[in-house]
Amino acid sequence: MAERPEPVLQVRDLHKSFVLHAIGGRRIEALRGIDLELYPGEHVALVGSSGAGKSTLLKSIYRTYLPDRGEVWLRPDGRDPVDLLSLDERSLAARRVREIGYVSQFLRSEPRRGVLDSVTRAGRRRGLTPDDAAEAARRMLQRLGIGEALWGTFPTLLSGGEKQRVNLAAGIICPPPVLLLDEPISALDPANRDAVLELIAELTDGGTSVLAVFHDLAAIERLADRVIRLDGGRVASVGRPTDILTELTASIGAHR
Amino acid sequence: MTPALQVEGLGKIYGPGGAADVAGTGPDHGRVVSPSSGGVVAAWDVSFSVGAGEALGIIGESGSGKSTVLRCICGDETPTAGSIRLACVDGGGRDLTELGASARRALRIDRLAVVYQDPAEGLDLRLSAGGNVAERLTAAGWRNFGGIRSRAAELMRRTDVPLDRMDDPVKEFSGGMRQRVQLAKALANNPPVVLLDEPTTGLDASVAAAVLDLIRDLLDELGVAAVVVSHDFSVIELLTQRALVMQHGRVVEAGLTDQLLEDPQHPYSQRLVGAARG
Repeated sequence: MAERPEPVLQVRDLHKSFVLHAIGGRRIEALRGIDLELYPGEHVALVGSSGAGKSTLLKSIYRTYLPDRGEVWLRPDGRDPVDLLSLDERSLAARRVREIGYVSQFLRSEPRRGVLDSVTRAGRRRGLTPDDAAEAARRMLQRLGIGEALWGTFPTLLSGGEKQRVNLAAGIICPPPVLLLDEPISALDPANRDAVLELIAELTDGGTSVLAVFHDLAAIERLADRVIRLDGGRVASVGRPTDILTELTASIGAHR
Repeated sequence: MTPALQVEGLGKIYGPGGAADVAGTGPDHGRVVSPSSGGVVAAWDVSFSVGAGEALGIIGESGSGKSTVLRCICGDETPTAGSIRLACVDGGGRDLTELGASARRALRIDRLAVVYQDPAEGLDLRLSAGGNVAERLTAAGWRNFGGIRSRAAELMRRTDVPLDRMDDPVKEFSGGMRQRVQLAKALANNPPVVLLDEPTTGLDASVAAAVLDLIRDLLDELGVAAVVVSHDFSVIELLTQRALVMQHGRVVEAGLTDQLLEDPQHPYSQRLVGAARG
């Protein structure tokens, strides 16, 4: 264990609450002090019942949600660590382009821009040349089963499963060292689901670190190196996939 | 490094009272009119910076002060307080509010371009599309007719204005086409800073979408520093990475655009997002 490299992402005592002014300033405590580490090339899966804080945690790390307090240290490629929560917004916006990515289960594409163009531009933003970006986009779309006939179509016009794959293609083209995946396969049929899982496995083999939320327990067993179970906005347990999934199934059973 | 545009403590008060009018106004008091003097505190204590290749949004309802901020930056209005600096003017060492009117106007030629909601403000509608662009180019010292003509044609192509309409007076153009000509004129001398004030408001939905796409492409490609003022969250979401929310002349919240949309903190921002999202 002494040989273990520094974590590429380290979350310390992360708290997030929502104050809803429209309903009398009601406060919802979503994260109540989360600690976790993600190591280079590691795939860590977040599990827990709905409302446990899984998506909130990913969005709070990415700062789409503004955490109340805590630290999120990003240590890309062995350089000096930086706390994402204390960065000014412009610096954070720059880091989001090259160093940490977030892929939602919902399509986040710009309107009125074709499929191939959308994915190519994502590659361009991450620093690929126009030719390399277009080539990588074609390859990525083909691997995800989005045929050439759809490349000129606006992503908003596609089916749910197609949208999700286009979204993923844009998210993982020229992948940043840390990827946050928020249920990226929720709308896929089994064949496409397998293609996506294979692609995600290749990403971590290539050194990308992944923190993911999947509802699909088989996907977690196949991909995850470690599993973190959240409950009520806290880390309930951390362990090997088989152990945590057994525990999870038992806890679901216990609620029945 | 000096950001392309830096605004600090900017304020604009209409009426006699000056800074003393600020008391009793703003979001906490729900008003912009000073209870003591009747002066209007249109904007107060507004600070932000924008870097090259970056677009900052300012969002708020009408009367929130967002357009006032833009008009103070471009020199249409003289601010009551605060400083405005451009990296391209003395490396940011010069506060533009200290410049005379003619020096301020000169900046509009090639440093600081504005695109207004109403094309009549940015264009001479009696002139042709090409003439409007030529006016901006000659102001910047272009003298060669052929050169001006070919630059104007290039800009028309870039903003999707049909070349065969280049010599028609702008008053014969549709609203969407006028807005494209305004963009062509604004960008004529490659200004490093571009201010856009409700650039698609008032256009038909499909026309607005096309103009919006054009602006997005231009911002992507030109690497300018842009400020986009809009009451419409979908415009801010499409064009900007960071944004300010203004209410009653003050900035009530600033953040990354996705954070403002998904996790707005201020009660007013929450109401704005709630209204936009249904």
